[in-house]
Amino acid sequence: MKDLMISRRHFIKKTAMIAAAITALPVVNAVAGVLTDESRMDDLERAVFAKMLKIALPTEGSTLIDPATLPVLPTIEGALLAGMEPHIRQGLRGGINYFNEGAIKAFGDRFVNLSDVDAVRFVDQWSASAAPPERALSMGLKKLTVLAYWAIPNTWGPLGYDGPVSDKWNLPSLGNTPEPKI
Amino acid sequence: MSTQNNKLNIKTAKDIQDASLIIDADVVVIGSGAGGAINAYELAKQGKKVVVLEAGPYVPSSEFKEMMAVAMGSLYQDEGGQSNTHGDVTVLQGACVGGSTVVNAALCFRTPDYFLNLWKAEHGLVNLTPELMSGYFDKVEKNLSIEPNAKHETSIGANLILNGLNKLAIEPGVAKRNIRDCAMSGFCFSGCKTDRKQSMLVTYLPWACNHGAEIYADTRVIRINTANGQASGVQAEVVDPKTKVVKAQVTVNAPIVVLAAGPIQSPIILQKSGIANSSGQVGKNFACHPSLSVTAMFDKEVNDFHGATHSLYVDTHTLPEEGGYILLNAVQEPVEASFQAEPGTGKNYVAYMEKYRNSIRLITLVHDENVGEVRFKDGVKEILYEVDDHDFEAMKAGLKFNARILFASGASFLYLPTSDRTVINSVDEIDSVIDQLKNEPARYRYTSFHPQGTCRMGADPANSVVNPYGESHDVKKLYISDASLLPTSIGYNPSETVYALSSYIADEIIKANFS
Ligand SMILES: Cc1cc2nc3c(=O)[nH]c(=O)nc-3n(C[C@H](O)[C@H](O)[C@H](O)COP(=O)(O)OP(=O)(O)OC[C@H]3O[C@@H](n4cnc5c(N)ncnc54)[C@H](O)[C@@H]3O)c2cc1C
Repeated sequence: MKDLMISRRHFIKKTAMIAAAITALPVVNAVAGVLTDESRMDDLERAVFAKMLKIALPTEGSTLIDPATLPVLPTIEGALLAGMEPHIRQGLRGGINYFNEGAIKAFGDRFVNLSDVDAVRFVDQWSASAAPPERALSMGLKKLTVLAYWAIPNTWGPLGYDGPVSDKWNLPSLGNTPEPKI
Repeated sequence: MSTQNNKLNIKTAKDIQDASLIIDADVVVIGSGAGGAINAYELAKQGKKVVVLEAGPYVPSSEFKEMMAVAMGSLYQDEGGQSNTHGDVTVLQGACVGGSTVVNAALCFRTPDYFLNLWKAEHGLVNLTPELMSGYFDKVEKNLSIEPNAKHETSIGANLILNGLNKLAIEPGVAKRNIRDCAMSGFCFSGCKTDRKQSMLVTYLPWACNHGAEIYADTRVIRINTANGQASGVQAEVVDPKTKVVKAQVTVNAPIVVLAAGPIQSPIILQKSGIANSSGQVGKNFACHPSLSVTAMFDKEVNDFHGATHSLYVDTHTLPEEGGYILLNAVQEPVEASFQAEPGTGKNYVAYMEKYRNSIRLITLVHDENVGEVRFKDGVKEILYEVDDHDFEAMKAGLKFNARILFASGASFLYLPTSDRTVINSVDEIDSVIDQLKNEPARYRYTSFHPQGTCRMGADPANSVVNPYGESHDVKKLYISDASLLPTSIGYNPSETVYALSSYIADEIIKANFS
């Protein structure tokens, strides 16, 4: 919450940057850094991501795999947050807080407490907002959550997507190319 | 003397035990991507002791996972999270041994004469004549097997788009790529597991090692040393790729320094070193070819999952006078597809992804003005860049062109990569929907694959960083040889330009120092 204490203008500027920066972040980090106390999700962050996952991927009645049966939140934490630079991680915390509190104005309660229907409306409202930080946060947090889901190979079956092929197709490596003669 | 082992002579953080390391060399090369690898080879071939320092890890191709999300974490700068300060332009770069050439899509274009002439007129680059450059293009095309795509080297999506082009009588381009016997996996962006893509990892770097070059991976250069107005070597640190802890300090003493850390890191290294900036242009003039990807949905299954990553392009409007945009097809896996379109939150999104197999994508990439800046402020890298209003109009024209082609290809409707749901349902809606788009931050899902500029080349020391031969105007024997040299954005994918310019600069280094 410390971030929320700083002046609103400064915070919004910073939030826009951080929120938007997270739209670019990947989720499965093969050389994932060590998860420290600073990088670990706090309870609020966990609740925000859990709510986002629930409303972004309502798979009931579809062919898709239920996200509740997959390690999506551990993927976000272990693969993304662990390797994050400290200043980005700190800003992300502030951004998530700001997003959660942002729902109070239009919907009367924090994002994590909204009904699923209102939470969806809130996310869509912010995605269409005239304020860049709102657009960036809504787009960014949703993107991060769904990326973590699709990064888990078990989710691909229902899409008909078959994933990596080189081993499956028995493709030989051509190795290093010979040095040119001249 | 060549050993012809044709293997990398490489040390990684794991191999370094001492807390400090001092290395003497004839040439130290910073970065092992397009520019760095080519210089390392050409200079080592002259019998010079060449040491290459690469900040990224060494990942052998046998370990590539053919999964974009994993590749982001292991092969890309900032784990794929590098962006402008607004965060609405993802700036992708490779950060591993071989640099961006390991993760690029291998599409190659010669620098159009248009830009060589422009650089001559506006930046005094009278040396880079089309005649001179064509010799370098020939050379790198031969070395890197840069050849037109064979007929079968395509993808299902590209074939559909080709039908659309034929219907509209639009001339397709035949792409050239640096690939031998493409396996058509579609995984260029995750690194080519079977070594068909002719990246630096399997070409110039092992060739440099045949001539005694040594490569240090996990080794980040933090400053360039100078003495008496001349480069004298570098300071670097070996960083454990997992814990990010600095393991060792490295000093390389070398009378020639080749800076090839790419257009974001090269200016930052100069800024940290406090050198080469009497013009005030270090980090300025950044351009990046922002691109937007339109998703087309078909009524039937398409399964555009594998094939050449890019095999089709249209460049009828690429030059600035003609519109300033290029069109490229691209095979994308679910992770990318999951965020390129915005169908709305919840059920609509689930319905979209259930139909992933019915979708294809067409990229619009624009030639942009050099309006950005890369700077190192308060210990943090910043890329200040906003899409220019003029460039946004080029983007809109490109999106309209794309949309028409996709409908002609059989698409039933299109998603635009906006922050909130924007759909085009028919050809009749194209103009009205796209005309409404405004140039606003955090409204679009831009990706840049081509950062450029930031240490531009030019004859006038007052407004450029390096001279026409690649040497810093201010610091003798400090050469820059990467995409940061480009005086203007070129609108076409730039790798062949970087390969050719780097070959040229290597020859200039040899001429000036070893003859
Ligand atoms: C996903 C992707 C797809 C692309 N597709 C195409 C394409 O199809 N066609 C095309 O023409 N172009 C493409 N490109 C662009 C092309 O690959 C680049 O323009 C080109 O490789 C730039 O060469 P460079 O030498 O400037 O930098 P790079 O090849 O990026 O190499 C720079 C190297 O320097 C290292 N480095 C950075 N900082 C330091 C430091 N402090 N110390 C030591 N080392 C450091 C980096 O880790 C990196 O390995 C693509 C790029 C990407 C990222």
